[in-house]
Amino acid sequence: MSTIDNKLKAISNINTLQQRDQWVNHLHPLVKLLLTFIYIISVVSISKYNLSKMLVFAIYPFFCFNLADLNFRDAIYRMRLILPLVMVVGIFNPIFDRDIMLYIGGNVMANGEHVGGLAISAGVISMLTLMLKGVYAVLATYILIATTSIEEICYAMRKLHVPQILVLVILLINRYIYILGEEASRIMTAYKLRAPSQKGIHYKAWGPLVGQWLIRSMDRAETVYESMQLRGFNGEYRYVADQKTRATDVIYFMVWLAVFAVFRFTNVVELLGGLFV
Amino acid sequence: MKTGIEKHLLHIENLSYHYENDEPVLKNINIDVNQGESIGVIGTNGVGKSTLLKLLVGLLLDYDGTLEVVNHPMIRENVNHIREHIGYVFQDSDNQLFMTTVGEDVAFGPINYGLPQDEVNRRVDEALRLTHIEHLRDKHVYKLSGGEKKLASIATILSMEPDIILMDEPSVALDPQNRRHLINLLNDLAPMKIIASHDLDFVLDTCDRVVLLYEGEIIADGPADEILRDKELLESHGLELPIRYYYQEI
Repeated sequence: MSTIDNKLKAISNINTLQQRDQWVNHLHPLVKLLLTFIYIISVVSISKYNLSKMLVFAIYPFFCFNLADLNFRDAIYRMRLILPLVMVVGIFNPIFDRDIMLYIGGNVMANGEHVGGLAISAGVISMLTLMLKGVYAVLATYILIATTSIEEICYAMRKLHVPQILVLVILLINRYIYILGEEASRIMTAYKLRAPSQKGIHYKAWGPLVGQWLIRSMDRAETVYESMQLRGFNGEYRYVADQKTRATDVIYFMVWLAVFAVFRFTNVVELLGGLFV
Repeated sequence: MKTGIEKHLLHIENLSYHYENDEPVLKNINIDVNQGESIGVIGTNGVGKSTLLKLLVGLLLDYDGTLEVVNHPMIRENVNHIREHIGYVFQDSDNQLFMTTVGEDVAFGPINYGLPQDEVNRRVDEALRLTHIEHLRDKHVYKLSGGEKKLASIATILSMEPDIILMDEPSVALDPQNRRHLINLLNDLAPMKIIASHDLDFVLDTCDRVVLLYEGEIIADGPADEILRDKELLESHGLELPIRYYYQEI
């Protein structure tokens, strides 16, 4: 199977996850979209030196992965390209921000100086915090897309009055990813079958191949659009049938909202630590 | 089906069409079709079969002559209304199926026409039942076989409960069993059908009337059995007898 086919299969596997009969999958899409948004805002708005606050936010992805029966390893594998980028964000902080913020172990002298132990600089703390922010945001997004179809997400976006044109563009991009992928796969297969000894595509063939790919994809995209028009599509896409909000949706939303508020505005780790000191 | 229609479901008079700066693809086409009729449009490659179907659903509008579908002239203002009565099955099912699952694709039309959820569900159930693909409801479109895709494509238009079904080369890429299945399905469907195909055996099995196109003109219009037995007529216009008649000749 070609790389492109593998990529298409990966997208298809995400769609399979979205269709599973899990409790989370049946939640109202607006609830899931809003919670993801609020979670990400809560996480990214925490001070970069407040690592302890960040740690407790791991509860949301941990809880959702279990509730939706998602495989954590699988999620990490799927996000293997984006996670390193996210983690690289704060990598230079330890170099530029060397003020010591805390010591692990060692003794405090009478003059207030620390002797021995491991000194942790503010740069290290901020690097870890930034990394966690990125990882949490990616995981929360993964939870959303693994439990909610693109149509449902767009439906929720329309409920939030996101402009129709923007939602439509997102939907059509999603449609045309398959079309572009399938056309690219066909062209690559046809090329490889007639150039069996070559590794990759010869640079002289790139021009015509890309040209063919774009023309064919545009042609197919137009036909798909015609097919949509013939079944009543006139710009006001109705996505999925209107979904009613149930009591469980409201309760789920309110509980997480309260949890996020507590995590964001109090330091749960410090409070818990205070109980034992 | 929809409101009682007394006149011809389809009325075509002196219809001509040409693509921009090109020779006419269709010339002086005259066809009247009534409810329940099943018509095969046959002809060699490039005679205008697909163009004719595209005109009938309003994908091409700048034609000359008269074209009335469900008693409405095919003009831009009427296109949406007319399309509610017509189901068009594309030659390539990949162009027809664009939603994630079969069930969602079949529901696309009814949802877009603003039908209530109960009615959408009823129509989806009925369309899947008619095409015998209830088991594919939640299957991802990407994972369907060629035959399944064709049946799913037909289900997507049956859920719109059309008065007219247009099909472009429906038997292409079907194995014998799926082909037989499709023939039985089409013969059981009540709406008027127009089937554009090279597969004359398929046309013979599904249509009671045949229109032979050649270089954009209608050469013959009559009972399927009569036209498809006329070896001289078919061969002089680039076609051959259906296989069953071909062997009878030998």
